[in-house]
Amino acid sequence: MENFLKKITKDVDLSFAILLSFCVYVFFAINIEVFFSHNISFAILERFAVLGLVGLALTICIIAGEIDLSIGSNAALCAVIVVKLTDPLGAPLAMIIGLSVSTLIGATQGFVIAFIRIRAIVITVGTLMLLRGVALLIAEEKTVMLTDFRVPDFITTKVLMYFSPASLTVIFIFICVGIFMRYTKYGREIYAIGGARKEALTAGIPLRRPMIIAFALSGFCAGFAGTVIGLKSGTAQGLGLQYLLLAGTVAAFVGGVSILGGKGGVLGAAIGALTVNFLNTGLVFYALQVHFVQLFTSVLLVIVIVFQTMSRVFDSRQARKSLLATIDERKTSLLEKKRSALGK
Amino acid sequence: MSAIIENNQLPFSAKFLQFYKDRTLLAILLSLFAVMFIYGIFFTENYLTITNFKAIIRDAALYGIMAIGLTFVTLSGNFFLLSLKETASICGVTFAMGMATGFGSPDLAGNFLVSLLAALAVGVVSGVIQGYFVGMGGNPIVVTLGGAGILYGIGAWWSDNLVINFTRPHDAEWLGTGSFLGLPSITWSFILIAIAAEIVLRHTNFGRKVYLVGANKAAGKATGHENFSMAIIVFTICSVCCAFVAVAFVAQMDSAQSNYFSAEFGSSGDMTILVIATVMVGGNSIMGGYGSTLRTSLGAIFIAMVDNMMVLQGFNSGPRIVGVGLMIVFSIIVFGLFAKGSRAQE
Repeated sequence: MENFLKKITKDVDLSFAILLSFCVYVFFAINIEVFFSHNISFAILERFAVLGLVGLALTICIIAGEIDLSIGSNAALCAVIVVKLTDPLGAPLAMIIGLSVSTLIGATQGFVIAFIRIRAIVITVGTLMLLRGVALLIAEEKTVMLTDFRVPDFITTKVLMYFSPASLTVIFIFICVGIFMRYTKYGREIYAIGGARKEALTAGIPLRRPMIIAFALSGFCAGFAGTVIGLKSGTAQGLGLQYLLLAGTVAAFVGGVSILGGKGGVLGAAIGALTVNFLNTGLVFYALQVHFVQLFTSVLLVIVIVFQTMSRVFDSRQARKSLLATIDERKTSLLEKKRSALGK
Repeated sequence: MSAIIENNQLPFSAKFLQFYKDRTLLAILLSLFAVMFIYGIFFTENYLTITNFKAIIRDAALYGIMAIGLTFVTLSGNFFLLSLKETASICGVTFAMGMATGFGSPDLAGNFLVSLLAALAVGVVSGVIQGYFVGMGGNPIVVTLGGAGILYGIGAWWSDNLVINFTRPHDAEWLGTGSFLGLPSITWSFILIAIAAEIVLRHTNFGRKVYLVGANKAAGKATGHENFSMAIIVFTICSVCCAFVAVAFVAQMDSAQSNYFSAEFGSSGDMTILVIATVMVGGNSIMGGYGSTLRTSLGAIFIAMVDNMMVLQGFNSGPRIVGVGLMIVFSIIVFGLFAKGSRAQE
């Protein structure tokens, strides 16, 4: 417990994330009577299955110092593939094929980024459009639908009051990725190339391996989110799911990643995704139009960015002040030494 | 100075190579142009007609003007805005509001100048605010992603997500559907804006500063050209270009809605990505400091040409989006391979 408290107070962004999510939850819990109930908790966890994964995907990329703009298209492509193949092949095989396609796309992006050494935003803008086109091609510009809507029922059955197989799987993925990022060599490499790329490369860390792993993981998470959405609704569109980028970015940034890379973690991503979920679920009760949800999500993002930028500026000023103070101290001590030497 | 002297002493072949290397990307783009053009002449019906070329340049003008604005942002090293279509949509809503209701006062209803100024003012405000956050040290992608949601939300809230109509005849017809010397007004604006932007970037103090800050932020800061003011100015230029396109588009359609510029706008895919694609296909360095608005204009015409050809051949939107996506990825990879080993990467 003491250890935990120490960590919280040390990491300003994480504590801000916890405070923010607590505020959002309490605000809705006070204003809406049914918000603090079993069913709403189940609904929030159901949404967490999608948003948490997208937030996790973006968190991993941002930890590696890059940002993946193509996750919306990647998720849409995976959803189209899974929904289309469920009829002839059955759900499990379709899921395996869709997820492997998404992971492969992510890994390819990572390879290209590391091989040509360009910024990820540059290449992922291109793949955003390319993958959207491919998804449209596969779906033949129509909405793909399941013929038997009972097939994917297994992912929404209630387990243990709060969970469903989908959210349990997502929580399992979170734990696995958390352990991977924190305790394995490959995970630490991702942090290294994000936080201090030049130093990491000079120290002998290859750029390609962590980059490929990071983007493959993010592609897998995006694909899994697309699978869950596609199977739940039983339909998929080539042009859909573009809102995931905004929601995922908000989740990642609320969770305390820094755009400079090398900071943040899986716990933060989970908290960030929960905050966005609280907001979205709470706004449902006010029966607002879609654009209001987007407006409030964006406002949340701007609040977090302003906080982060301000804290960074404050930190650098503080560091400068302390540096100047130490310099002053040294000067005065030197002067005193000189004086005492002269006095002798 | 020493570089110039060294360059003069180089043998002719090396000089030629240097010249060629400087212009490789332009050469690649022009040769692709030629290939597509010849292919179009031989394999597409109705391609080689004056009407079709007018249509191509007209298509190119709409996202070309936005892309010229975005080129300033890209050249100054601030990557790109993800809020282009949202800025355009809120400006379009403002303009249509002015034309339809005159912002509440019936005297002003249908007054073109007031509506135009209001739309441009909205563009300036959104550009300044986003530029301020970027200049303070925020990441352009994340800031404009948030800005996009807010702008869209406000635009949809203000117009109740309805289509705002205003009837013909109105004062803005000359901009929307009028033509001058056989070319539509929007095409003339594209040409004039492209020439003006090129002159500003090449021959004014401000234009050279854009290149300096984009090529080397540290050197810019050391010589007193901070990214703070630069970010505000270039974001404002870009947003004003978006506002102008929105006004022209709304004047043509006689109506506006908050999602006019969203998916499936005119050409393939959504407007923001299409504009970013235009800047990239033109061969501008996304890291800043290298490129020109001339390249962007050529990129716009190139994308419009390919898109037009695919439409004439009877392709659906899927293959068209794949085509534009392949063009972006191809140009990025070619550019990345050519720039490999130079400072342009980081």
